[in-house]
Amino acid sequence: MFNRVKTGALAALAMALATTSACAAEKKLTIGVADALTGGGAVYGLPQANAVRMAADEINAAGGIKVGSDTYKIDVIAYDDKANPTEATNAVRKLIDRDGVKYILGFCCSGSTSAVASFIGNENAVMLVGNAAERSITTKKIPNLVRTRPPADFTGQAAGTFIARKGQKRIAVIGALDVGFYAQYVDSVERELKKVGSEIIAREVFTLRDRDMTPQLTKIRALNPDAILVVGYVESAAFVYRQAVELGMVIPRYGFTSGSEEQFLRVTTSEQMEGVWDLRPTELDLLSASKNGIAYHANYSKKYNASPSPSSPYAYDQLYVLKAAIEASGTVDDTAAVAKAIRALAIPSQVVMQYQPVDGKMFDVNGQAYTANGAFQWQKGKWVFVEELPSDAKAYSVFLSTLN
Amino acid sequence: MLIEILQQTINGLAIGGVYVLIALGLTTVFGILGIAHFAHGSVSMFGGYLTFFLVTSQGLPVLVAIPIALVVGFLLGLLIEIIAYRPVRDANHINAFIVALGLTMMVEGINLQMFGHEQVVIPTGLSRVFRLGGVTVPELRIYVIIAAIVLVAAMMLFVERTKTGQAIRAVAENRDAAILMGVNVKSIPLIVFGISTSLGVAAGIMVGALFAIAPGIGEGFVVKGFAVLILGGLGSFPGAILGGTVLGITESIAAGFISSAYKDVIAFVVMILVLLIRPQGLLGRSP
Repeated sequence: MFNRVKTGALAALAMALATTSACAAEKKLTIGVADALTGGGAVYGLPQANAVRMAADEINAAGGIKVGSDTYKIDVIAYDDKANPTEATNAVRKLIDRDGVKYILGFCCSGSTSAVASFIGNENAVMLVGNAAERSITTKKIPNLVRTRPPADFTGQAAGTFIARKGQKRIAVIGALDVGFYAQYVDSVERELKKVGSEIIAREVFTLRDRDMTPQLTKIRALNPDAILVVGYVESAAFVYRQAVELGMVIPRYGFTSGSEEQFLRVTTSEQMEGVWDLRPTELDLLSASKNGIAYHANYSKKYNASPSPSSPYAYDQLYVLKAAIEASGTVDDTAAVAKAIRALAIPSQVVMQYQPVDGKMFDVNGQAYTANGAFQWQKGKWVFVEELPSDAKAYSVFLSTLN
Repeated sequence: MLIEILQQTINGLAIGGVYVLIALGLTTVFGILGIAHFAHGSVSMFGGYLTFFLVTSQGLPVLVAIPIALVVGFLLGLLIEIIAYRPVRDANHINAFIVALGLTMMVEGINLQMFGHEQVVIPTGLSRVFRLGGVTVPELRIYVIIAAIVLVAAMMLFVERTKTGQAIRAVAENRDAAILMGVNVKSIPLIVFGISTSLGVAAGIMVGALFAIAPGIGEGFVVKGFAVLILGGLGSFPGAILGGTVLGITESIAAGFISSAYKDVIAFVVMILVLLIRPQGLLGRSP
């Protein structure tokens, strides 16, 4: 009898030890990425997906995410949403329903992101939006959605002030104006221009698939503008800059693109780009980057044998935000608690972008983060950070809260 | 205003040249073999990618890379005919149709696997711009227009003046009669696909140099190519030339004077209007 009890006790102890060991064992947390990995949006989406993978590798190498006595190693599943609303919906459904993912990152492009944002509120998941700049993504008060990039019109206001200060009176706009956030950017610019008596004299449109912008530019050239403003994806904008030179348009060129030197030089030459302004969130630029930014650039370049796009750290930062929130909330299962913890976070020390906190927190009540805006100019083959554009995150946050 | 019209016309001529080459390749295959070769756009883009690869990865001068790509294009055309279309030549038309769709997906997939998903631009080093009055013409566009004219002329000479060209026309007119006249009809589809694919490759190179090549771009061009085919008249070489030029210039002028937002729509509206007046196309024969 005693032996049987002893054996039973030993077995129970062994089981308990095994269970404890299993509990403390390394666990896996699968993170989903839905982003444009091919097609026109890939210039933003692919670097974002790469950035998430790099952050995951770094976090894993540093020991993973610690939740109580557990340690989670991150596994990343990335699906291509082709910047298309239907594909994005399918990709996210697959992540949630089939892969059982609860945290979804990436989201470079507004149309596809808005489609997912429309249903994510009903899901047991947290959505962290990156480069997608459409304002309405963070006006719907979705509790389980946050965005690391500021809305386009937050930047447009600062850009408009900058252009107005330059003294040009007649500005012609050419861009993907059927995309909501580009139109919002231009509207903000126009409001600032009007304050000093300047005006937008033309709004020419191109689609994301267009590569020949000479008809629109010829039309603009006939209007004799003082400057042009180009709003669109990197590739389309690069064609505009190149073809404007080919049409002999020697006027200031402003833009809102967030492309790296490498991305522009695939389409145009450095000479054709000389003097172009990019008025955008400060994002990643070595001349203005923090220590984290410089390290990010070096690590990314080494890992992927290509320079990171300026906007890619939005996604890199997402994962560090998520890590901090999971550790703060002490759970990976309770997505509501994690979502709440994200909104309560101060800016994590590992992030690359230079965020402007609102009330001491990284995200405002709308789940929106803000970065500084900057004026960059192409000088001798590279983007040079010239100056920071004055931007009031707090005031914009109040404005954003009034929208539905 | 006059300068703007001239500028838009010149803008449209270069892209019109590309449409002409795509449409000539399509019309050759469709007119002679009755196949709607949807993969033509993807094959064209393969040619552009190949040239880019030869120039950037192999360090070949662009003028060396282009003839290599054209020859590879010709051989690829032979391969497509033998592997894809020959087995269904005598079957129902729907079979060739399905093969064409499958081939499109396959070539797109091959392009993606071999050359990646990124947009590429073929570096030519041609960046000078010429100014004539108020009209500006980039050097590259001049070469594209000249190259298109030379290729079209060569194609026309080949079809009109050579024995093989005569045989191709004979098969197009009446296959059975051509057999009776001793034409080797087995070799005609091979030659047709070879030439057609070479023309497509030339168009792909032009697109890659003028604009860019990226996954999915070929689909747009093949749609425009078929539009040109219908506009010019099915199976008509002069029709393809006229249709491509008209479509290129119409797109450019429509974008400049009406709205760039409806560039494609306006071009297709013109096509529909032409067909309402001349259902057989601009230079097509009445049934």
